[in-house]
Amino acid sequence: MKEKYDFETQFRDQVLRCSSCGFCRAVCPVFGITKRPALNARGKMLILKEVMDGNVDLNDELVETLFQCTTCASCSEQCPSGVNPPEIIKQARKDMVRIGSCHPAFEGMNQILKNHTNIYAEDEPEDFGRARHKNAPYVFFIGCVGAYREDEATMATLDVLDRLEVDYTLIDEVCCSGALEDVGFEINQRLTEKNVERILDTGAKAVITGCPYCSRTFNNKPQYQGLKDAGVEIIHISQFLKDFDFGVRTDKVVTYHDPCDLGRHCGIYEEPRQTIRKIAPNFVEMRHNRANALCCGAGGGVRGAYAKNSIDMARRRLEEVEEVGAEIVLTECNSCVHNLKNAKLRAQKFKIFTITQFLNHLLEEAG
Amino acid sequence: MDKKVKQCLEEIVGAENFTDSLIDLIAYAKDASEHRHRPDAAMWPVTVEQIVATLKLANQAKFPVTPRGAGTSLAGLAVPDRGGVILDLSRMDKILAINIEDRLVVVQPGVVYADLDRALASYGFFFPPDPASGSVCTLGGNVATNAGGIKGAKYGTTKDYVLALEVVLPDGRILHTGSKCMKSVSGYDLTRLFVGSEGTLGVITEITLKVNPKPPMTSTAMATFETLEDAGRAISEIMYSGIIPSALEVVDQQTLIAINQNTDLGLPEVEALLVAETDGYTREETEFQMEKIIEIFKKNNATTTRQADSKEEAEALWTARKSAYGVLARINNNLIVEDLAVPMSKVPDMLRSISELAKKHNLRIPTVGHAGDGNLHPVICFDGTNPDEVKRVEEASAQLFEKVIELGGTLTGEHGIGLAKIPFMGLEHDQVSMDVMRSVKQLFDPNNILNPGKMGLEE
Repeated sequence: MKEKYDFETQFRDQVLRCSSCGFCRAVCPVFGITKRPALNARGKMLILKEVMDGNVDLNDELVETLFQCTTCASCSEQCPSGVNPPEIIKQARKDMVRIGSCHPAFEGMNQILKNHTNIYAEDEPEDFGRARHKNAPYVFFIGCVGAYREDEATMATLDVLDRLEVDYTLIDEVCCSGALEDVGFEINQRLTEKNVERILDTGAKAVITGCPYCSRTFNNKPQYQGLKDAGVEIIHISQFLKDFDFGVRTDKVVTYHDPCDLGRHCGIYEEPRQTIRKIAPNFVEMRHNRANALCCGAGGGVRGAYAKNSIDMARRRLEEVEEVGAEIVLTECNSCVHNLKNAKLRAQKFKIFTITQFLNHLLEEAG
Repeated sequence: MDKKVKQCLEEIVGAENFTDSLIDLIAYAKDASEHRHRPDAAMWPVTVEQIVATLKLANQAKFPVTPRGAGTSLAGLAVPDRGGVILDLSRMDKILAINIEDRLVVVQPGVVYADLDRALASYGFFFPPDPASGSVCTLGGNVATNAGGIKGAKYGTTKDYVLALEVVLPDGRILHTGSKCMKSVSGYDLTRLFVGSEGTLGVITEITLKVNPKPPMTSTAMATFETLEDAGRAISEIMYSGIIPSALEVVDQQTLIAINQNTDLGLPEVEALLVAETDGYTREETEFQMEKIIEIFKKNNATTTRQADSKEEAEALWTARKSAYGVLARINNNLIVEDLAVPMSKVPDMLRSISELAKKHNLRIPTVGHAGDGNLHPVICFDGTNPDEVKRVEEASAQLFEKVIELGGTLTGEHGIGLAKIPFMGLEHDQVSMDVMRSVKQLFDPNNILNPGKMGLEE
């Protein structure tokens, strides 16, 4: 029998293997704030089973659950049956979009990337006062959030690279567009080709990304294979910094939020901690850390589509910061920083930075 | 369900706590069992008054109400078999009081087991039953199903800790049972009547639990046995030796084979592997108990025994037991995690019978269990899309429970009757016992609105 939807062809066995144990309730950030089983991975798998059984068609009624997943993959990490819900959901979203059912926010994002170079439709690129398109061993790739929303963090990262005398160049970068694949659309080839061409033009041996999501996209999407073919290495800034000595430290109590894109999706847990331990001996772990870290709520397009829930998820994460009495929360994803900062209450006195931003601050203080 | 009724329900809890969206109805159609039936609507009440109003309306308009916690039931207890309304209590999730001076806590039904455990840890206390679904299951669900777990042999199950309850009855009256005292024989023990009643008598809205100081030290050991009979004798002997292990678990040969085929653990494929844990306040105390247990293992021909020297080693010894469900879930499309209990001395007979039944019906039925209290979990593995196999599963299940009763056992040690065990109720309970149970149901819920169709209460 020919399957009606691509998610069935690709993931039928996995959807059937979900034993409905419900253990994903413990970790799903969307369930955590809504307590609504339909939004949990088990609920989503039950709904897709009904679709496979022919009892329900993919349609607008399913948008609220299938498009409300941060793709943080906590559920996959916990699942005793080895089911990987985010991958299944991403494919189901593509099936939904094909038949015309989609959350308007995601449709908007696809439209924006058709006509602009970044997800915010900003036409004037931020000027960070650094060389662009020069020949250099490294390209520093900022990413949309770092360029247009967390530009202070980006500026600090560039300052750190300068202090370490790293020979890098910026490029007129465009959105890596990987996120489109997460929200039901195809990656934008016009954009990916520009990035590949501009990176290769510099003759760089490596791209350092400020954004873990861009890093994932460059490493995993076939549209960026050109970089690998030319021997260009993709490194996230946290990997790049791990071997340097900085000669500065703080006595403040510091904790670290593992971004889903860096942690669960790339397995990078230790490198950021290596750097933090060097500069902050009073390092404490939050209750959920590493593979069990709670999502900040920004991923999978949820911040754009379900803003209130996204902020509530970030608040829940910040409660764990209070639990351990940290004064500084570090992370290494501009998207996480952005969402966590938006969620922080006035009464919460801790501060939120990227690791490089905080490091730069210490270096500045030390003169 | 009538549109007007839905409107009334929405008014009772507010739009944000009511749903009849397709996605919610599908999600509430199932628990962790194979049973499935959609409700007509679902509500997340946040106050007792809302539950009172809902039940009054249901009793008057005569629609079914199924209370629900985390929906982790393995026997269909949380499936709304007759439709109606799901009353999801997970938004009533406050710990109302931790009163260490009186050794008790007061909680709302939606508090997650693990959250209470975390709150108690800072006092050095715990709520012992430790169900396998502890990271997600709710205390209301624990009480309504009388949940057990790995520590049953030493610490008992949920029923041993419930001191008092607040319950909304089907007619909307609020009943308070029990007392906040450690001892009370004041009137009928109504508390116990509601513990394990599977949501058929009332909706539990507040729970007072006795809690225990948590012994900080544990020792762990593992032993393998060539024959089930040797393992069985070891189990019995441990349990009458005067030492009560905090856990004594059994893993059978089929499970060991399945684990070996799907991991690199390289476990010995013997007829039985036992894991024991002792707990106490000093290392000497836990080691003393464990030495006795290892002596008994050896006396009963254990082929290997290993005792953990560190926390990491202890975890390694637990791997076979703890990885069993995951391995089985990954390699099978459908699993029925069965539940039965037999007198402890009959554990080897039961394990032998399970293995024979599997052979006879050409099925894989690996078994793990809480040997220390005779509670076993045969895991029936099958492919639900193969009608012939499904039929063999049904036949094997029926014969399994005939054997359980023949050995003086019980249909369920901790999962409940729900929908799954209804066909077997008559095997264990005679007419008088069924009559009395039905009279109790009739007394509390004459209109049969609460979780109808469960426990074989309808003739």
